[in-house]
Amino acid sequence: MPANMRLSPLAFWALAAAAAAVLFARAVITGWPSAGGVEGRLQEIVLTHGTLPRAATAMLAGATLGLSGLLLQRVLRNPLAEPSTLGVSAGAQLAMAAATIHAPALMAFSVGLVAFAGGLFTVALVLALTWKRGLEPVSVVLAGMMTALTANAASAALILANGEYLFSLFIWGGGSLTQQSWGPALSLAVALAVGLAASALLLRPLALLSLGDAAARSLGGAVSLSRFLVIGVAVWMATTVAAQVGIIGFVGLAAPALAALSGARSLKQRLVLAPVIGAILLWLTDGLVQFFAGPGGERVPTGAATALLGGPLLIWLLPRLKLFEWPSLAGGAAQARRAARPLVLLALLAALACIVFAVAIVAGRGPDGWTLASGQLLADLADLRIPRLVAAAGAGAMLGVAGVVIQRITGNPLAGPEILGVGMGAGAGLAAVLLASATAGLGWQMGGSALGALAVLLLILALGARGGLGPERLLFAGIAANALCSAVLTAIIALGNQQSYMLLQWLSGSTGRVGASEALAGLVGLCLLAPPLFLAARWLDLFPLGPAAARSLGLAVGRARFLLVACAALLTALAALFVGPLSFIGLIAPHLARLLGLGRAWQQLLGGLLIGAALMALSDWLARMAAFPYQLPIGLFAALLGGPYLIYLLAKGAERHG
Amino acid sequence: MLLARRSLLAATALAVFAPRRARAAGKRVAVIDWGHLETCLALGVVPVAATELRQYREIAVEPAPPPDVADIGLRGSPNIELLRMIAPDAILISDFYEYQRPLLERIAPTVNLPVYQPGKPPYALAERSTRAIGGMFGLKAEAEAFVAAAGAEIEAIGQRLGQVARHPIFIVSLGDSRHFRAFGADSMFGDVIARLGLENAWTDRTSYSAAAPVGLEALARVPEASVAVIGPTPPEVRRTLAENALWSALPAVEQGRAQELAPINHFGALPSALRFARELERAFGGEGRAG
Repeated sequence: MPANMRLSPLAFWALAAAAAAVLFARAVITGWPSAGGVEGRLQEIVLTHGTLPRAATAMLAGATLGLSGLLLQRVLRNPLAEPSTLGVSAGAQLAMAAATIHAPALMAFSVGLVAFAGGLFTVALVLALTWKRGLEPVSVVLAGMMTALTANAASAALILANGEYLFSLFIWGGGSLTQQSWGPALSLAVALAVGLAASALLLRPLALLSLGDAAARSLGGAVSLSRFLVIGVAVWMATTVAAQVGIIGFVGLAAPALAALSGARSLKQRLVLAPVIGAILLWLTDGLVQFFAGPGGERVPTGAATALLGGPLLIWLLPRLKLFEWPSLAGGAAQARRAARPLVLLALLAALACIVFAVAIVAGRGPDGWTLASGQLLADLADLRIPRLVAAAGAGAMLGVAGVVIQRITGNPLAGPEILGVGMGAGAGLAAVLLASATAGLGWQMGGSALGALAVLLLILALGARGGLGPERLLFAGIAANALCSAVLTAIIALGNQQSYMLLQWLSGSTGRVGASEALAGLVGLCLLAPPLFLAARWLDLFPLGPAAARSLGLAVGRARFLLVACAALLTALAALFVGPLSFIGLIAPHLARLLGLGRAWQQLLGGLLIGAALMALSDWLARMAAFPYQLPIGLFAALLGGPYLIYLLAKGAERHG
Repeated sequence: MLLARRSLLAATALAVFAPRRARAAGKRVAVIDWGHLETCLALGVVPVAATELRQYREIAVEPAPPPDVADIGLRGSPNIELLRMIAPDAILISDFYEYQRPLLERIAPTVNLPVYQPGKPPYALAERSTRAIGGMFGLKAEAEAFVAAAGAEIEAIGQRLGQVARHPIFIVSLGDSRHFRAFGADSMFGDVIARLGLENAWTDRTSYSAAAPVGLEALARVPEASVAVIGPTPPEVRRTLAENALWSALPAVEQGRAQELAPINHFGALPSALRFARELERAFGGEGRAG
């Protein structure tokens, strides 16, 4: 807790625990069996099989997540590592969604095993992706974010395509602690006990691991083996929580950090304090959720509530974390091969984009299979296809240039526009509008998204201003904004109503509703926001040299950053309205442009714009055609096109900085 | 005797109108809302295109669309290109899909017939939209007859059920083994319950509106209530429910008054209302003997 608080940390946690206990006592007293006969017997069962195990589950789940987060943070030497930032939760959800639909027998056999398999797979993927970069914290978090976004888009597509049957997944995504038996509490107790025992056994290797690979290896000890062992245990604990009660964010992130801030210095102290703080956090949150429940049930599931409370906490917490390693962000961008004739290359890219557009307008499937439209049909179809295409390509172009700006400013080739969080902000705004009225028109929906994005943008600028919008601040603010907005979205999607479906559609990216006026709006936005970036190309050329060098060459670093970030954020927000928050294209397009040898900023901007437009247009066409007449989410195809390239890029281990 | 009367009523309600092409009345219609799809089919109007037919056949089940109705994809994002190629004369939507109007209007005149409006019992709205659909296709008399037959059958079922079902009833769908969705008076099922003269044990609004899914312990608040579970129930829920102490202790479960109904469209029109009433009678018609 902050130094100016006259309360000692331990007293603070004791007070929080007392508050949770009071709320719990209130729940017990109001639920105490008072009636006779059948009613009294039911009240008794609700108390002994509902209220009591619920409190136990809350504490055990909180403690398990706290320990899991601590282990992951320790072993990866990354204070942002936790089950949700590593994609564990998203992977578990995808596995459960897929199993519910394609292998219900597997779900009936063991939900926990399915969740564990999914979570382990995503963690393995994230670690494999960043292995060659030495599991460097920022890369791990970014890779985790991308993996989670992709898994979420895939889950959304599955839920959308199968409708009603996945009500359970909505509930699960919200993280509800409602109990009617001691089963989940017992499973969690086992997971926690195993986790604690493993931590005790691995205490020495764990302490070594935090020294860094080189130091640890020189001290002996099978570093890799114990590393994997610890990761395995941590993932198993997290997925056990996920399987028993659903997704509960933030506790895994906040508990270890709060333990450190509360004065736990040694590993031993933290191993005790992190689970205790996690237990108190979740117990208190769940108590509040029950306290504010209406007659029709709780207003938000506990998992979503933790995220709502945790968002502000995270914003407060992150700047206070001094433990962060930022090796990759300081370094200058590696010089890529320069193309001999960039203009010819750009003309070729433009031609390629035109070919994609032409195919997308003319070729398609109909009731009688593949057709090349012509005549009146072509005229009519073009009327429908062109706005979509313009919106998709425009969004791709916007993400492409925004990606160039973000990658150049942060000097991190893994950063993409989504680290700004404005895309999710647009989603939260849309959610607010839909919650106010399920039948809101498109104009209202767009207005809400724009306001949401703007609010997040202001938040980022405000949060980042103190640090001159440096890369670290940007990432902090983006993570906090992303997490907060995801929480709002999760809470509403967990309702499983009409609005949920519309949000899922947006989340997975859908250009299906775009008409001429929206396409025009997108185009105007692109024409207004992209040209200033070309005018600022010199700034972008200087940024990769590092702030000191840039400053000595006459660049007002702070102001330039502010303008560029604002511009990129507006572009990202506008694109998110059409294609959802998944912006793989914004990560890939700048890369491809540079790989082709478009090294100067203006070249990379134009190349990123063209490549982004072509890739997104292609994604949209594939999304329309793959499961015709059912339209799949464009975001999914963007991920499918971009994902393999990203994996190749990371596995190659090229462009490692620092 | 009883059965004979039932099937007669059913025949009046559904089978009297021999399927006819909507073309006969000069209109080829595409339907976005499942409730309208049911109504059209019940009136004998076969639309040229409708949404999510795969899912419809599993969840709404009847009246079944003939195989030559084109599937135009998800209700939330129907395939506009395919609609253009099919080129219907009119498109039917409800309030849920009003936001799609700008796109749909480019294909054909789009008609919004509301069935669900916030806080309103939907049965009367469904009757109105049935008459409106009848009017659109020159089937006014048939629509009138269908509305009357549906009302009569529900009343008859109500009378028969009223003699045996003396408990208030929860209408729920089970999400997982810990949570349910409740149907209140503002839902079609809640409205039908009221028309059957039964008491809905869930006095709040339908939990489709802004609230999290409800924990099963809420069922204990009305201990004597029966429970009707609308299908489909996921298989793992059916398995774990048996191990749920609270569920097993509910008097409804102990006395066999917790029954699973076949899948029914949650946002249906009159045909779904009828299907629900019949399912309810099938499940609870013998309750007098049980308790």
